[in-house]
Formats: sequence, structure tokens, C-alpha cells
Amino acid sequence: MASPRWTKLLRDARAERGRLALMIAAIAVSLTGVGAVLGGYAVLTREIAVNYLGTRPAAATLELPGGADRALAEQVRQRPGVADAEPREVLVARAQVGGEWRKLLLFVVDDFAGVRLNRFRPERGAWPPPDGTMLVERSALGMLATELGGRVEVKTPHGPLQAVTVSGVVHDPSLAPAWQERCGYGYVSRATLAALGEPPVLGELRVAFAGEPRDVREVEARAAEVASWLGARGHPVTEFQVPPPGQHPHQRQMVTILVMMLAFATMALHLSAVLVASAMTALLARQVREIAVLKTLGASTWQVARLYAAFVGLAGAAAVALAIPAGLLGARGLSASIAHLLNFDLTSQAVPAWVFLVQAATGVGVPLLVSAIPIGLAARRTVRATLDDHGATTGALPAALAWLPLPLRNALRRPARLALSLGLLAAGGAMSVSAIQVERGWEANVAKVYATRSYDVEVVLNAPATMDLAARVAQAGGVRGAELWGYAPAAFSRPGAIDVVRTYPDRGHGSLFAMGIPPETGLVHFPLLAGRWLRAEDRGTGALVLNHGAAQLSGKRVGDEVTVSIGGRPSTWHVVGVVEEIGAAGVVYAADSAFGAAAGTPGQGRLLRVRTSAASPAGRADAIRAIEAALGGAGASVQSVLPLAELRTAMGDHVLVLVRMLEALAGILGLVGLLGLVSAMSVSVVERTRELAVMKTLGATPARLARLLLAEALAIAGLAYVAGCALSVPLTLLVDRIVGNLGFLAPLPLVLSPGAAGAWLAIGAAGTVLATVIPARRAAGLSIREALGRT
Amino acid sequence: MIELRSVSKQYPAEGGGFTALRHVDLRVGQGAFVAVVGKSGSGKSTLLNLVAGIDRPSAGEVVVGATPVHALDEGRLAAWRGRNVGVVFQSFQLLPTLTVLENVVLPMDLCATFPPREARQRALSLLERVGIAEQAGKLPAALSGGQQQRAAIARALANDPPVVVADEPTGNLDSRTADDVLALLAATAGGNRTVLMVTHERDVAGLVDRVITLADGRVVGDATGGRGRREVAHG
Repeated sequence: MASPRWTKLLRDARAERGRLALMIAAIAVSLTGVGAVLGGYAVLTREIAVNYLGTRPAAATLELPGGADRALAEQVRQRPGVADAEPREVLVARAQVGGEWRKLLLFVVDDFAGVRLNRFRPERGAWPPPDGTMLVERSALGMLATELGGRVEVKTPHGPLQAVTVSGVVHDPSLAPAWQERCGYGYVSRATLAALGEPPVLGELRVAFAGEPRDVREVEARAAEVASWLGARGHPVTEFQVPPPGQHPHQRQMVTILVMMLAFATMALHLSAVLVASAMTALLARQVREIAVLKTLGASTWQVARLYAAFVGLAGAAAVALAIPAGLLGARGLSASIAHLLNFDLTSQAVPAWVFLVQAATGVGVPLLVSAIPIGLAARRTVRATLDDHGATTGALPAALAWLPLPLRNALRRPARLALSLGLLAAGGAMSVSAIQVERGWEANVAKVYATRSYDVEVVLNAPATMDLAARVAQAGGVRGAELWGYAPAAFSRPGAIDVVRTYPDRGHGSLFAMGIPPETGLVHFPLLAGRWLRAEDRGTGALVLNHGAAQLSGKRVGDEVTVSIGGRPSTWHVVGVVEEIGAAGVVYAADSAFGAAAGTPGQGRLLRVRTSAASPAGRADAIRAIEAALGGAGASVQSVLPLAELRTAMGDHVLVLVRMLEALAGILGLVGLLGLVSAMSVSVVERTRELAVMKTLGATPARLARLLLAEALAIAGLAYVAGCALSVPLTLLVDRIVGNLGFLAPLPLVLSPGAAGAWLAIGAAGTVLATVIPARRAAGLSIREALGRT
Repeated sequence: MIELRSVSKQYPAEGGGFTALRHVDLRVGQGAFVAVVGKSGSGKSTLLNLVAGIDRPSAGEVVVGATPVHALDEGRLAAWRGRNVGVVFQSFQLLPTLTVLENVVLPMDLCATFPPREARQRALSLLERVGIAEQAGKLPAALSGGQQQRAAIARALANDPPVVVADEPTGNLDSRTADDVLALLAATAGGNRTVLMVTHERDVAGLVDRVITLADGRVVGDATGGRGRREVAHG
């Protein structure tokens, strides 16, 4: 015969199956979130090593205008501390896709059979590519609207438009997916480069260092040593690029997003634990007499506590059993989604055992820990106090609150429980509303791409052109206006040192550009974060405005001096302002003539910003064709054309999917909050069964009692709603800051969404009605004799 | 033996305290069956609770056997109560999710007084003694009030306690069943076991050894009962 205590536990569990199911559901739902995020994190951390580090990313890329070859690379490999070196070239070309131009990064490889660094793996087709053909990165096939065996119309800066056959498809995990960057990735040999009309020079030397140093300063120091050695041997290095060592371009964003998701999931788990504690309070309230009897029969405080703790443990264990497989599925889904965003192949989706252990430990431990308070309080009560417990008392309500409506007075009879219910529901609501508001903030930020720019097409030329080019373009069909700006890659330089940039080999992430603009331009109007915008008189001064990305890169503020290498020419500037520029890398702005003097391109520009009259993508494509024709007529060679819409798509695609996942977690939180209200109302009804019976003897109908309880629940939900909406503001600000800094290097704007608040109000009200109807109907439906017979 | 020495009990209440017992001195000998009677609010249940260690005196001492009950902390009190006091409630208070047999085994399980197999045998034997052995496998809700109270008495005897306290044990029973339960309690008393019973029954005097009357928290009557007189006569 099993111990009657444990028999009681199991039978209580059966008798309280509704409450137990509620507890299990709440823990399981949030524990699934924890498992999914932790599992996803574990898989991705492992896979980043396998995928990105497996490519052997170069620690530094040295720019050698004179070019590098295998022999030079071999010499560098012999240098102490150098693990490997390989000559490469990256060319920014263009591909004509369906009558539109897309940016095409051409990675030029000297020896496909002996790729040492930034390795990529053939997936289909030829390897190495026959001369005159190219390999395409698999994520770029869609961007180039091609397939294996197809042809891509390629235009290099100096060559004619040529059709190049796609001879193979490769996977390059060191690159962000092409559909995110809105460009194509191609891999060609030197011979193909020559056939495309470019000199077959490999202007980069990629280097890896022994010991794979993870400290960026150490990498810079070692790169500087190699650069110095090369310079001394007649191979001057103009710049070296040192991206964050060992980090995928999107790794920091992904990890931070995962950590934030984990924070939300953990919050959900804690809310669930509070819900369990609340449900346990309900159970203890219902079993107060049984506890008294147990103690009368000799049960110690510890024996009583252990019994109810086992009940919580049982709920936790059942939730763990449900959450582990569900979390595993979630982890697989999450890791697959993020791997897609990182352009990874998951070699294994095996979730390590520690994730399950953490799930099991937190699933059982956290609810036990939180429930220890009500269980301890109930178990420690004296027999006398327990026998005297007849549920809620009116004495606790201060007389000063007698003016409140009856539902609110009833809710205030148990202030601690009210606080718990309010806390659960308010937190759930706040997080749900916040998640939607963050999404709105994200959308608002993306909208700033248009709001702060009055042009819709951006053209980068291969070489600076004279300013009259703008006037010629302005004459093209569908063009309302155009300005030609100075434009050059830049670096924050140090005296006597080679320029260092944080740019990845994709030439996008971590890059910095300098622009020379007419101060009176109406094409951009970025919000000022500090100082002022450029003025006409700045043409003769060294005034410089940084965008927020450049300000972060340099650490400079208004009033600081800064030395900027513009196109390899260092010049010193005075920072007069910082602006927020959403949708751009680091940019420093100088007045046009000051820029021209510093860059050595007076009276010239390379960046054409055009305002078209197009009202549709098709109209814009027509306008772009007209612009191209005008530029061709003027003999200007185009490096890239970027419609603003592409920029917007790129930004939207970066991490919005993760914001949606955050919303899913917020949904879980909202659900847990509602379950908390169900639990609280059920306790409230149980405690007042006798009181309700008395009301029935005084003539209250079941319908009237049900209305009374519903009004009370709605009063609690109303208070929680107000608190949740208020709480959502600081929470939204916090998440806006984190997400914004990840996506845009600047906090997202605070957008308060009446729609989100309204949706939560509707869901909360509907949930409240559902949460109350069942216990209210049950209590109101009891006969007076039954009700009076209960404690 | 039960001894109360100048015991007072006050409860806090709005507008000052409420005194349930005032300087009560009482000695109850081993094996006695004692009825405590009095009007509602006279302090009967308080007295019983103090003896059972369910409540603590505001002043004075409560000694049961050789144990100063008033001086025990909650933990020791629970352990002591489990082994030394059997409690019978007016409303039976059987645990609804346990069978009758399991309810009787429960005190032995909590106090680890008998090994499980022996506890079960003992519980069956006790149920047989109170006349409801055939109900052992049923849940309390399936039993009549009288049967439930019999089960409660069997449970109170589970750990073979020297003291059994019964608070209005017949309050929820019809008169015929009440008579059966009183007879059962009377049969329980004697030897080493003392039974202290609070009751409203007017005609219990013939069944008990002693009738103690309380009024306003004081002992106002202490009479020998019919059973006591019979024992004296037989003795």
C-alpha cells in the first residue's frame, strides 16, 4: 500500500486537474520558449564555428595598389606569426537583371584549387570555373534571376556589358545572404576578370595570423607589421581592413537578439512560476481544512510543505516532459531561421544535453522556488489559525475605501493576491504591447529612409566626374532633379599609420565613406543629434558632420578634431554636428568644395543622387534607364545604381523576422498573464463560496452572482490594462534601444500603438470573461446547502 | 493525566481582547471519560484545543502526561500531538480524496509509528472495532455521517494515543447514531486512555466518568458522571 500522503497527492492532482493543467500549460509554454531559444543559441554557436570559422576568414585584408601574386603571398606566409596569406581582388561590378541594374560583387580568385582563406564550397556545377564563366553564391541566384547554366549580363567599371555563363553554384558562409544585401556575389578567375575588361590585378592580400588572435588591436598590430615589411620591399599598403576577429558580419546582432529573446522567455518562465504560486495559493485556500487535519494528526510543517511542493514538482515535471520536445522543435525552427539569415548550413541540429538539463532544472526549480512562499506560509500556520481560516474577510479593507464600487472593494480584500494578479496580467500585457510597438518602431525607422531623403535613386560612378553631369542627368526623362556629390571610401586615420577600417570582404559591413555635399542641398534632411548641419560658409572651412554610424566608429563628438583619410589622403577636420542617418554605413559629410580639396577632386563628384517623378517601380526603372543613358552619353561609368526602395527592402529583411519571433514570445507572455487571471479568479471564487451562498439565501440569483464576479474580474483586468499600458512605455523604450542599436546603430523611435493597446484590451477583456465565466457559473450554480458545506 | 494550572486564554478582538478561559485549574485522571459542557462561548472548545496542543494558553500551564504542552514549539507540538492525542471533530474532517482505510493509516504514516504493512493491519482492525470494516475501501463521501464519525474515531485511535479529544462529536448526527458514537467513545476510554469530550448533549452524564461545566470561561461545575459512580460502586 502506497503511503497515504502520496496517494493523497496523486488523488488531489486528479481532483484538481483543471488547476494542474493550468499550471502545466503555463510552465510548459514558457519553458518551450526557454528551450527553443537556448537550444537555438547552442546550435548556432556551434554552427558559427563550423560554418564561418570553417571558411578560415582572413584576419586582415591589406590593400596593395601595386597588386599581389602567389609569390608575394608565399613570402608573407614565411613571416613569423603569419599563418596564411592569399592574393585576392573584390570588384564592384553590375549585373543587368530584367532591364534593371543590380550591384554585383565579383570575388577574383587566383587559384580555385588552392583557396586558403575565406574559403567557399562548391555545391553544384563546375569547380574551378572555366575561364570566361563565373560561379555564383547560392543566395545570389535569386538576386541575379539566374540558375546553374544560365547567363548573367555583367558590366565591370571598365569593360563592356557581357553575358557570363554561370558554371557553378557555391556556398560562402562568410557572406551575409545576397537577398539581404540586395546584391549579387560572383566568383571569377583572373582570366575571366581580364575578359570582362578589367586589368587582372589582385589588389588585396588576405592574411591569417598564427594563434587566431581574437583581439582586434593585436590583429591590427600584426597586420601593421606585415604592411611595414611589404612597404619596405616595394609593395606599399594603403589600407588594411580588420573586421571584428572571428565574427560573422551579423553575428553580434544575432547573439544579442537571441539574448533578448532569452530574456523574454525567462521572464515568461518567471511569470509562469508566479502563476503557479498563485494557483498553489488557490489550492492551499481550498485545502486549508485538510492542512489543519494533517497537522492535527501529527504532520510537521516540513511534511505538509513537502506534500504541496511535490504537487508543484509534479506540475513542473509534466511541463518539462511537454516542453522538452516542443522546445527541441522550436530550437530547430529557430536555428534554421537564423542559419538562413546568416547564410549558414546547419551541419547538425543536435541540441546539447545541457539545454535539456537547464530546461528540466528551471522547469521544476523556478516554480518550486516561487511557490515556496505560499507553501511555506500555509505549512507554517498553526492548526488553530488554519482551522479559523474561513476565506476572505472584509476586515482587511480600510474604511476609507468604502466609497469604491463593490467589484473593486471585493478585489481589494486580498491586496497581495490582487497585486499578484495585476502584476501577471500587467506584465503580460506590457510585453505583448511592447513587442508590437517595437515592430512599429522598426517600421517607423525604415520609413525614415524615405522621410529623411528627397531622392529615390543613388548612382555611384566608377570615377569622379565634373559637376555639370548633374545638370545633364536632370534633363533625362522622368528626372525632376539631381545633385552630384563628392564620394570616396574613407577611414579615421592616425598620424603616421596606415588607414585601418572595419570593413568585411563584402565591402559593405563596417565600411566608412566621405561625402562632399552642397550645404544647401534639399535632398537629405537628417535629424540632428548634436551640433549643427553644414552651412554655405563651411565650404572654406574644415567643418565635418558625422552620421551616427561614423560617430560610433570614431568615438568623436561635436567640437572634436578628427583626421579622416579620404581616398587615401589624410586631412584634419572639425566635427560640427552629428546626424541620425538610418539605412547607411558610417558617413562623414563635408561641404563640397572642402571635400574636393581634401580628396584631390576639386569641382568633381562621384555620387549622383536623383529625384525622379516615378510613382511606381516600373516608372522608376524607366527613369533609371534614362539616367543610365544620360550618363553613358556623358561618358560616365557607373559602379552601382541603388533605388531607395532596395535599401528599404534590405533593411526590412535584416532582422525583422527576429522581431516577429519576439512577438511570438510576447504572445506567450500575454497568455501566461491571462492564465494568471483565470487562476486568481478561481481562488477568489473558491474562497467566497460560503459568502456567495449567503448572498443566495438573501435572494441573489445565480446570474447576479456571476455578474458580480465578472465585474470584479473586469475591474482587475481594467487596472492591469492601465498598468500594462503604462509599463509598456519604458519596456518599449528599452527594447527599442537594444533592437535599434543592432539594426540601425541608433535606438528605434518610440511609437505608441493604439492598435496594439486596443488589441490587448479586446483580448484581455475576452480572456477575462472566459476566465471568470467557468468558476463563476460553477460557484453560482452550487446549491446553498452545498456551498455552505464548503470551507 | 491531564492538568491545567491557572490557565487563561484571551483572543484579540476589535475593541479589546475576548477572554475565553479565566484561571482554570483542572486535573483529569488517566483512563477517565470526561464530558465538558456549557453554553456556546463558555470556553469548552478552547479548553479542548489547549489540551490537544491546537492552541496555546495566554497564561498558565497545560501538562499532558509528563509533557508541558504549553512550552512546546510548533514542530515538537505536531510530533507530540501525532503520537499522544487523537482528535475527533464535529464535522468528521476525513480527507475526501483518501479511502476510509487510508484515512486511518494516515496518522501512522505521518508519525512513522508502525511499518506500512502493520499500519494497514492495525487500521483494518480499528475499523473492525468501530464496526465499519466493510467500508474500508470507500471514499468518505460514500459513507453516512455516523459511519464517517466512526472512521474518524478509528483514525483518532490509530497511533494508540493516551488522550483522545472530541469536539462535539455528535453535533452532526441524529440521536440514534449519536448514541452509538458516544458508546464507542465510552468504550475507548479506560485503561491508559483518557477521553475528553466537548458536548451539548444534555444526557451524557450517565455515560461519562465526570462532567465539567464551564460558564464564561470558568469551571462552574465538576460532577461525577454515571459511569464514574458505577465504577465507584463496583470498585
